Amino acid sequence: MRLRSWGRGLLVLPTVVWMLAFFAIPLGMVILYSFSTISLVTYNISFGWTLANYRQIHDPIYFDALTRSLLLSISTTFGCLLLGFPLAYFISRQPRRAQRLLLVAVIVPFWSSFIVRTYAIVNLLDTGGPLQDLLHGLHITSGPLNLLYTPKGIAIGIIYAYLPLMVLPIYVSLERIDYALIDAANDLGANARRTFRRVTVPLAMPGVVVGCIIVGIPALGEYVIPQILGGDKTLMLGTAISDQFATGNWPFGSAIAVALMVAMAAALLVARLAQRREPA
Amino acid sequence: MDDQQQARFPTAHPSRRLRRRELLERAAQLGVALPALSALGAACGGGSGSSASSAGSTASAPPTGTAVLLNYDGWMGKSTMAEFRTAYPGAGLKQASLSSISSGAIVPALKANLRTYDAALGDEAAVGQGLAADVIQQLDWSKIPNIKNVDTKFRQAFPHGIPTDYGKTGIGYRADLVSEDITSWADVWNLAEKYSNKIVFIDLDRDCIGSALKYKGHSVNSTNQAELDEALQDLITIKPHLQALKSYNIGAGLVKGTSVIAMDWDYDVALAQAENPNIKWVLPTEGASAYLEGFFAVKDTPHLDVLEAFFNFFLEPKQYGDFVNTTGTAFVSNAATPYIKPSIKNNPALIVDPATLANVEFENYLGEATAAYTKLWDEFKSA
Repeated sequence: MRLRSWGRGLLVLPTVVWMLAFFAIPLGMVILYSFSTISLVTYNISFGWTLANYRQIHDPIYFDALTRSLLLSISTTFGCLLLGFPLAYFISRQPRRAQRLLLVAVIVPFWSSFIVRTYAIVNLLDTGGPLQDLLHGLHITSGPLNLLYTPKGIAIGIIYAYLPLMVLPIYVSLERIDYALIDAANDLGANARRTFRRVTVPLAMPGVVVGCIIVGIPALGEYVIPQILGGDKTLMLGTAISDQFATGNWPFGSAIAVALMVAMAAALLVARLAQRREPA
Repeated sequence: MDDQQQARFPTAHPSRRLRRRELLERAAQLGVALPALSALGAACGGGSGSSASSAGSTASAPPTGTAVLLNYDGWMGKSTMAEFRTAYPGAGLKQASLSSISSGAIVPALKANLRTYDAALGDEAAVGQGLAADVIQQLDWSKIPNIKNVDTKFRQAFPHGIPTDYGKTGIGYRADLVSEDITSWADVWNLAEKYSNKIVFIDLDRDCIGSALKYKGHSVNSTNQAELDEALQDLITIKPHLQALKSYNIGAGLVKGTSVIAMDWDYDVALAQAENPNIKWVLPTEGASAYLEGFFAVKDTPHLDVLEAFFNFFLEPKQYGDFVNTTGTAFVSNAATPYIKPSIKNNPALIVDPATLANVEFENYLGEATAAYTKLWDEFKSA
């Protein structure tokens, strides 16, 4: 018995070592660095436990970057939810074989590199690109499209990149619904809309929450898409962190990163509390 | 990672590689590309065999080991690495690259990864930064006799390593789509409203701020806060009319016509001109910022002998010609001119003459004031 438990411990050892080496220790270093100071001439670091890096975040430049990143994250998460929920619902109502095919179609974009996909959107959104041709052909717009290098272009890119992350957890929740509950609601006189609102949506909420978390959190620190599709004209929080690390100001970059992590953790806590308060 | 595996690398100028590849492919189709130059080089005795013998005469023992060079992705002659391995069987060079395109990122990377890199490519500002951070290794010039091939002015301006290339930040524009003649930075600012959303600026703080400083007649190395504030206001004024800030593929927009005016580097405009002759290069009348780049050794590298052998090999006219033909950059060694493609050596954007040099100012290391530029850049992007 003791041997079996020892063997089980061995099984998780690689994961523990991996997480320690590539998550816990680097995270600890980032937190440590956030309280240090660096000479931007010699790049010598001293660990004096200063809060100066955190005070610097209050500079309107970085506070505005945080606000912009939050707004972008919220709007794109909402966009993913708006598109992802109907798609997940549609897939979950198909026959089993069709579901598998549609799920593969949702996942297919992940088979190619994230950067390649983002650059593909550049060509799609560019003035004179296929999207402009399509919209002109359908007489929806006329003149140059002007989507590339705009906030709308960034939002389109993020929604495109993160949509599968919203669809999959919602699909899992919807697929697990016991349809006897839907039948029961119908038998008790609820029409389709009322059944959807009072039965389907509440039962899908765990998937919605998970989808919003796994879309919203990376979108908050996103910096590749704003650079490529936004023309890098606006300072986002992810870009600010990247710039600070690139120019050697690791303490300040670390402080922004830690502040971002704290904000994310707080958002997760609020979501968790909200879930607990929901009636069963 | 070997010299073929530079995928992570960036980047300072990814566009260089794509365009270069296209040019080489076209040249190969015409049957006039590097093989002919290689044959010419061999006939002139500039081949790899002579390199080894040349090095052998200056070094007591052949260098051994593998050094790691922090370099831009693709910023190397097409056959340089292979020929170096042939010339020095016991020595090798691996290339690595950074995820950032800024020259200001090189020294922090060296300092944070001591013993990881043996040499790096950097401009004068990066070398100044490296000296301040004490990460630069002085070279034994007796082992690099080919430094004589580098023009004196560049050698003197880059004394802590071997100069590799030189470039200017000027203006490229589509003469067929812009009805006015552009000759200055003032023209760019004045025409911004008319060509709103068709103007692209460089996404690098020193180049962009330096150009704004030149626009008002200031030094690109200014540390005067009032002048920097003025540059910030000028950049904020033009920002609503900018289509994008880009650090790669700047010329691609000019070629397609999706942008009509661009703050751009000379080599990038030259490459774009090869695809669209309507693109004009302008060295602004107010002056322009310029950079001089080169390879330098990292302090206490255990592979100094390999690096010195490589630096000497790199500066051989044939090898340096290969580097220039591959990258399309303005060159710093007239000795290599016979090996350089006419499209490069005769391009007005790339010619290094006294009149041009008189109108450019090299970006220097600014010490503590570097932070002011970083802050200004963030303010510009946040505005």
